[in-house]
Amino acid sequence: MATRPDTAALPSKGGAAPGRPPGSPAPTDQEKRRRAKLSRRWQRDMRWSPYAFVAPFFLLFLAFGLFPLIYTGWASLHQVELTAPTDMNWVGLKNYTRIFDDEFFWNAAKNTLTIGIISTVPQLLMAMGIAHILNYKLRASTFYRVAMLAPYATSIAAASLVFVLLFGRDYGMINWALDFVGIDPVDWQGEKWPSQFAVSTIIIWRWTGYNALIYLAAMQAIPQDLYESAALDGASRWRQFLHVTLPSLRPTILFTVVVSTIGASQVFGEPLLFDANKGASGGAEHQFQTLGLYLYEQGWVNQHLGRASAIAWTMFAILIVVGIINQLISRRLRASS
Amino acid sequence: MTTTVTPPETSPATAQKRSLLPKSARAGGTLHGGPIAYAILIVFTIVSLFPLIWTAIAASRDNQRLAENPPPFWFGANLFKNLEIAWKDANLGEAFLNTTIVAGISAGTIVVLSTIAGFAFAKLRFRGRNALMLIVIGTMMVPPQLSVIPLYMMVAKLDWTDQLQAVIFPSLVSAFGVFFMRQYLLQALPDEVIEAARVDGASSWRVVWHVVFPAARPAMAVLGMLTFVQTWNDFLWPFLVLTQTGNPTVQVAVAGLGRGYTPDQSLIMAGALLGTLPLLLVFAIFGKQIVGGIMQGAVKG
Amino acid sequence: MRARTLPLSRQRSGGGKPIARKALAIAAVVSLGTGLLAGCADDGGDDDSGSSSGGEGKTTITLGLFGTMGFKEAGLYAEYEKLNPDIKIAENVVERNENYYPALVNHLTTNSGLMDVQAIEVANIAEVVGTQADKFTDMSKVEGVKKDGWLPWKWEQATAKSGQTIGLGTDVGPMAICYRKDLFEKAGLPTDREEVGKLWAGDWKKFIETGEKYKKKAGKDTFFMDSPGGLINAVLSSEEQKFYDASGEVIYKTNPAVKDAFDLTAEAAEKGLVQSQTQFQPAWDTTIANSKFATIACPPWMLGTIKGKSKPDSAGKWDVAVAPKSGNWGGSFLGVPKSGKNVEEAQKLVAWLTAPEQQAKLFKVQGSFPSAPAAYESAEVTGAKNEMTGDSPIGEIFSEAAKQIPVQVIGPKDQIIQQGLTDNGVILVTKGKSVEEAWETATKTIDNNLDK
Repeated sequence: MATRPDTAALPSKGGAAPGRPPGSPAPTDQEKRRRAKLSRRWQRDMRWSPYAFVAPFFLLFLAFGLFPLIYTGWASLHQVELTAPTDMNWVGLKNYTRIFDDEFFWNAAKNTLTIGIISTVPQLLMAMGIAHILNYKLRASTFYRVAMLAPYATSIAAASLVFVLLFGRDYGMINWALDFVGIDPVDWQGEKWPSQFAVSTIIIWRWTGYNALIYLAAMQAIPQDLYESAALDGASRWRQFLHVTLPSLRPTILFTVVVSTIGASQVFGEPLLFDANKGASGGAEHQFQTLGLYLYEQGWVNQHLGRASAIAWTMFAILIVVGIINQLISRRLRASS
Repeated sequence: MTTTVTPPETSPATAQKRSLLPKSARAGGTLHGGPIAYAILIVFTIVSLFPLIWTAIAASRDNQRLAENPPPFWFGANLFKNLEIAWKDANLGEAFLNTTIVAGISAGTIVVLSTIAGFAFAKLRFRGRNALMLIVIGTMMVPPQLSVIPLYMMVAKLDWTDQLQAVIFPSLVSAFGVFFMRQYLLQALPDEVIEAARVDGASSWRVVWHVVFPAARPAMAVLGMLTFVQTWNDFLWPFLVLTQTGNPTVQVAVAGLGRGYTPDQSLIMAGALLGTLPLLLVFAIFGKQIVGGIMQGAVKG
Repeated sequence: MRARTLPLSRQRSGGGKPIARKALAIAAVVSLGTGLLAGCADDGGDDDSGSSSGGEGKTTITLGLFGTMGFKEAGLYAEYEKLNPDIKIAENVVERNENYYPALVNHLTTNSGLMDVQAIEVANIAEVVGTQADKFTDMSKVEGVKKDGWLPWKWEQATAKSGQTIGLGTDVGPMAICYRKDLFEKAGLPTDREEVGKLWAGDWKKFIETGEKYKKKAGKDTFFMDSPGGLINAVLSSEEQKFYDASGEVIYKTNPAVKDAFDLTAEAAEKGLVQSQTQFQPAWDTTIANSKFATIACPPWMLGTIKGKSKPDSAGKWDVAVAPKSGNWGGSFLGVPKSGKNVEEAQKLVAWLTAPEQQAKLFKVQGSFPSAPAAYESAEVTGAKNEMTGDSPIGEIFSEAAKQIPVQVIGPKDQIIQQGLTDNGVILVTKGKSVEEAWETATKTIDNNLDK
């Protein structure tokens, strides 16, 4: 591209092909027809190309993503077991209404909320900080980048073994360290808040580097001169971060918040492996059972496909409600400011 | 103000101007990391890497030693022996090939398709844009744990069991990728650049090729890395649909290691280690892509 | 408003390194294309592989197994292939049954993706017999297979009400009590296995009483038994009816045998006789290595676990005594799905693998105790010894135990109920909760898990 953005001519109205520079001779008939043909092609392109670009995603989704959703939706209205998935008995909304009385569901919901907050907020803050540091000119930066994604790449089986050893009550390393400073051993797997803290730690460990990488990629796209102008205006590094980096990163921050929220609502791998029992009850008293784990337990361990599907769709509905509330609040905030 | 933006190897006037800038002006990529930065990074690196290193330590021990307390903190003698057993027993050569194909196709396709879809959602105007974007995000909100059951029914009907395409195609649906690229392009792709290309007569496809892909390169690299790892480490679905005697992926292949009435943890760890090493290599390669021009933009002094 | 400018990385004339960017895009498109082509090509090619074409006219039989089988390690495949040169055997193994079984269920319900031979664990056999029997061939009709070749209760477990036997038994887990001679001696208890067996013959309550005697003398840093889960499991396994009655109804809450077992275990927990551990977790492994407990409910494979987790100096310090009442823990079956490509050959293989001679060989190498009574007379069993138990004739002890096991009513959700009673029940008593609280947590969890 030879044109520079700041000196480019603005496109003419109507999205037609670029206007001709002033002073050139009037077009011939043939030229007029060619221009008209190009203009039509241009209009078609403007009109239909977006659909062409988003079509592949939707086609793939229609082929491989839609049927599972419809199936679980349909199954949620029936009583159906994994051992006979085509043997469905209609129960209407019973699987949904029973959730209101289901103390295990609400226990899991509360746990999901607390684990979600404890694990997501520090994680995103740290990810931002790490990304900022990695954005500096560093020696061996590739090494740090590899290290950053290592937790995400480490096999879950290996990672969970390490963490169970760390958080063991009798022989765990953390209790051993606590013993050094005179604190009594903590039953990390047994009690409610210690176990939720431990599970959150595993989640933070696993996903911070992941989010840091996302922030880092976005930071690479911030133009250099924005920093320069801010500096010339006298801004310190911290103020530059606040007033240049963060605003530029807003779309990406929104992305990580949305995706982390969705992820936090669905978390089940980490609590499943922290328990190490054969079932999936999230601890003897379900103290760290999340909604995702409850869903897994009802569907895969207890084989109640209908009930589990209803739980899955209820989780979806909860997220929608959260999203709507979020929208209303931010609209209020914007309106009042 | 700073309306002239020229490449760094530039006129002496600008270079002089740059050298007069206060140190804080050279924020972002051109600033060197201070000792605090390095300290934080080193702590972070140790915390990130130590489970992986412990996997290697465990793989170098034997099952008996792993049951003892305190657990081993340094390497034993069995590393190569266990790695060899794991490699042969799990037939990892074939599994690596299969998984590279699956993860590579998956990552490559997702990156390309997500970028163009993300571009359309971010920068192009079309009817239904907001509604479709909300649908994209909506598809992420349904927990995926149960999806494999109907998916398996589909695959059984298609007669795709034990074929790699059964693993590849479902993995191509990535709302995450579309959403990610949209947000990135909103920030990283100025409208003026697109306008400029349009003025020059570029059709949408040319815009994508010449403007969008270059602008999106760091994000494409990141998305590629994340997708590659996710597909590589996926266990539930490949295990359901593939077999070790047919076309296994790495996670399927190592699922049988260390078997016996008493599982041999050292072998299991050896398999886990072997399965992770190729990923580190992929990171090293793709990691360089994220940097882009920041390093080139560095100014001396 | 400053004009937005491109970041430095983009400010090359021409838009950056054209080669790298183009290469990336081309690579992506090429890989997509290759994938599609490969996908289309694979459809045709793989139809005949996987069973018949083992190369040179050989038939390949595939097995789907989980971790405890051990046929390959015992060299049985090589032996069978030598006896039958036109057969090749290939196995698909997963270490954990928790992964294996859900996949098996999915494959059975879609009747797709099944191997020629599929293993089934005893915890799942009731459910498979109850819901998937029509997907399996009837092994009792296979040539040379006779019902009395297996322990009667083992045969019954795999037989549907219609009389169809969907699987042949491989191994069983007859339980005895393994105890530490040295720790018993320190606590003033007898160490001879006959004497020890007399301490608690016929009654689990007497077992608890022995535990109290142990605790009085042995001090604080040691426990009588390894875990509450192990105890309640052993007690329940020796009952004829536990969670289901003969008609298939769930009776776990009303069956006095279950409540008694729970209360007994809770009593042991309150008295500090059992460790606050869950079996097979890393912390439990460590208590073995550190010799922290004196007894454990012990099928033959548990000796292997003890050996695998113990320090070398523990060898020879264990012995095996008869349990108050015999029960079974563990064991598997091999079934042949109807949808396999080589049903007859698979049936022959299964019959051979579960024959007494092969079971005896497997016991020697893997420690999997035979379910064929004829194997009990074999040299491998009668002469069996284990490092941990020194010279004890474990083969004889376990054979006796195996014959004493009652025919127990099993049901599809046995494991779920069992897990609820241990992981959500008695373990809580060791953490200080009352018996009532623990029972309530357990039953609430179980009922929720059973409720369709």
